Amino acid sequence: MLDMYIFETTHNIEQLEALILSNEKLGGYSEVDINEIFRIMHTIKGSSAMMLFDNIASLAHAIEDLFYHLREQKPQALDYSRLSDIILESVDFIKVELEKIKAGDKADGGHSILVEEIKEFLALLKGQVPDETEAERPVLDKKQFFYISQEKASIRMVSNMFKATIFFEDGCEMENIRAYTIVHNLKEFTGDVFYLPEDIIDNDESIVKIREEGFQVFVKADKSYEEMHRFFTQTIFLKDLELIQLEDEEEFKRFNKPKTLILQDNQAKVPRLQVPANKEQAERETVGSSTNQSIISVNVDKLDKLMDLVGEMVIAEAMVTQNPDLRDLQLDNFQKAARQLHKITSELQDMVMSIRMVPLSMTFQKMHRIVRDMCKKLDKDVQLKLIGEDTEVDKNIIEHISDPLMHLVRNAIDHGIEVTEEREAKGKPGTGTITLEAKNAGSDVWVIIKDDGKGLNKEKILQRAKDQGLLIKSEQDMAEREIFNLIFLPGFSTKDCVTEFSGRGVGMDVVTKNIEAVGGSISVDSTEAVGTTITLKIPLTLAIIDGMNIRVGNSRFTIPTTAIKQSFRPKESDIVKDPDKNEMIMVRGQCYPILRLHEYYGVRTELTSFTEGILIMAEQDDKTICIFADELLGQQQVVVKALPTYIKNTRNIRGLAGCTLLGDGSISLILDVGGLVNASD
Amino acid sequence: MAKVLIVDDAAFMRMAIRTMLEKNGHEVIAEAENGAIGVNKYKENNPDIVTMDITMPEMTGIEALKAIKQYDPKAKVIMMSAMGQENMVKEAIISGAKTFIVKPFKEDHVIQTLAKILAM
Repeated sequence: MLDMYIFETTHNIEQLEALILSNEKLGGYSEVDINEIFRIMHTIKGSSAMMLFDNIASLAHAIEDLFYHLREQKPQALDYSRLSDIILESVDFIKVELEKIKAGDKADGGHSILVEEIKEFLALLKGQVPDETEAERPVLDKKQFFYISQEKASIRMVSNMFKATIFFEDGCEMENIRAYTIVHNLKEFTGDVFYLPEDIIDNDESIVKIREEGFQVFVKADKSYEEMHRFFTQTIFLKDLELIQLEDEEEFKRFNKPKTLILQDNQAKVPRLQVPANKEQAERETVGSSTNQSIISVNVDKLDKLMDLVGEMVIAEAMVTQNPDLRDLQLDNFQKAARQLHKITSELQDMVMSIRMVPLSMTFQKMHRIVRDMCKKLDKDVQLKLIGEDTEVDKNIIEHISDPLMHLVRNAIDHGIEVTEEREAKGKPGTGTITLEAKNAGSDVWVIIKDDGKGLNKEKILQRAKDQGLLIKSEQDMAEREIFNLIFLPGFSTKDCVTEFSGRGVGMDVVTKNIEAVGGSISVDSTEAVGTTITLKIPLTLAIIDGMNIRVGNSRFTIPTTAIKQSFRPKESDIVKDPDKNEMIMVRGQCYPILRLHEYYGVRTELTSFTEGILIMAEQDDKTICIFADELLGQQQVVVKALPTYIKNTRNIRGLAGCTLLGDGSISLILDVGGLVNASD
Repeated sequence: MAKVLIVDDAAFMRMAIRTMLEKNGHEVIAEAENGAIGVNKYKENNPDIVTMDITMPEMTGIEALKAIKQYDPKAKVIMMSAMGQENMVKEAIISGAKTFIVKPFKEDHVIQTLAKILAM
């Protein structure tokens, strides 16, 4: 239940935030959206009250009342900016409470200040409406019916007279309407119904009377005592019933003047709530919403377990089809069956992967809020463009992208985009643009954050790096790209003073760590005065990759095939040595460094001569190296397992992305080409 | 014991009511997230009782109630209302709802009410 509450309320809050932001831009709130906001707050109020989160419920109630007023009265002179601020503050409050709830803490946030603010805002609005009866909702047309007693008519029949005193259960609420229900039901078989208190419909104070003194009904009906008793005991939420059969009409006398007993058959206006006509918005809500599509929500833990199992299955399949016992055997039928098995496991794998894939749109949408807040705080004017937000990424990865993305967007506005005057002086449009783009590129997803701000200043960066003692290489040797990459070093910052958002030199390297934690990479390109582009490359999935198994001595390694460009046996004549005595290989006029795996990892092998082994040319991040191994063993789909923690804690081994179990049961270390190319620098 | 149709636009509410009902031996034969779907589900499934939220998109609880009563005058519908909806509840009673429960509701309210309505 709690999970469902959190899920639905989070979804509602996100919707609400998006509505506020989009309406703010238009400078006013559309009727359709006011309705939608009302409905969302109504729902949140309801579920929060059920879960006993009363502070959230009260806050939601206050906003609901506010938007009810907006919907019904449609006030003209409205401070929309202030309205948006208040609602967004409330949204933030609820978000914080939800986080507390998720973590299992008490939702004890102080909501009273916010509620006060909202009530004041509403009171101000109401003050504008001078004489219109700001009646308690909703507004009614009253139709009065005059009740003409049927005393005369009833003389013909033998009518019995009864007095019933009814007490309702504590806490059933709206006792006046419950009383009305009894009267309504009585009218089905008799017209002579009178009751005390009389004004049960309009007067809420009648509720108090009913609770204290009971609801008294005086009836003349053609029914026996037993029948009447049965009728009354059917009352829902009945606590106490006293039914007396009256002998005479004494008690009825007080009702006797041709009174206008007002039986109000009011046509109460039930507000029709319209679904947003905006189709795009409705479609965007499909992630997790239950309108019209067959979507179910699944616990992420179950998906993780499913992934693990599929991984195990891939390994098990390899263990069967590549079993050493089968080597050298001629098994045609078996091979056929094995291929079929492989086909099915691949399909299953693809399906499980796709279940875990989630579009980036939610993450991207969150950025609107960040842009808005930053712009307000720094007094800058920036618009956010989103491209490719439907691009999908594994659910695990989404969580790791969100924070870095937020930081990069903040950075772009803080460091990159200039103030409006400065921009116009430079001939740029006054409104800065940040473009967030996501696209698929091979087995990676690229997320590109581009701004048209003032770009990176190489000299400043180099100077800062020198000052902070972060320069390793000499200035002249550094390529433009490497200078830019300095900004990712821990402790680096070109800000002179520390602000709320930047300057402490902690942000960028945390971003880098987060991205690398999911196996991705980050790179920066910039042109001064024109803008900066930051590219995040994130692998589609961590778990199962296509790998090429290789052997070095008795050890096995696996290289992801996406990193391999070619493999070949070199000629002695192509081997050269550079001034630092590093071995290099000439291929088609280009020189590439060689990495001897057996040397690098200290593996014992007989094979040390290049011409007897094999060179595998591998590339990552535009850097290429040639890995030297004994032989190629074959291509295989490989399940990436992380290195056990005790190894990771002892020493951080460069160049290893994990390990895997091969078909014959041996362990193979998966090479991280990125780590290896950087090691050889 | 009873076959119930739950109509409410909040998935959370539907789950809450469902949990209460199933715990007490009733069967939820269908759920609907707005009035229009509610009316259709009623026609398809013929439940013994309907719990009907009032504020919903597409078609409100009152409209759905009227439509269901027109289709089946004997239909037993319980309105789930919020505080402050007196007039809407009144209209519901006039339109044929058997009774109403006010949110936030307790389990025994719901079960008691259901039992009484079933017995009618």
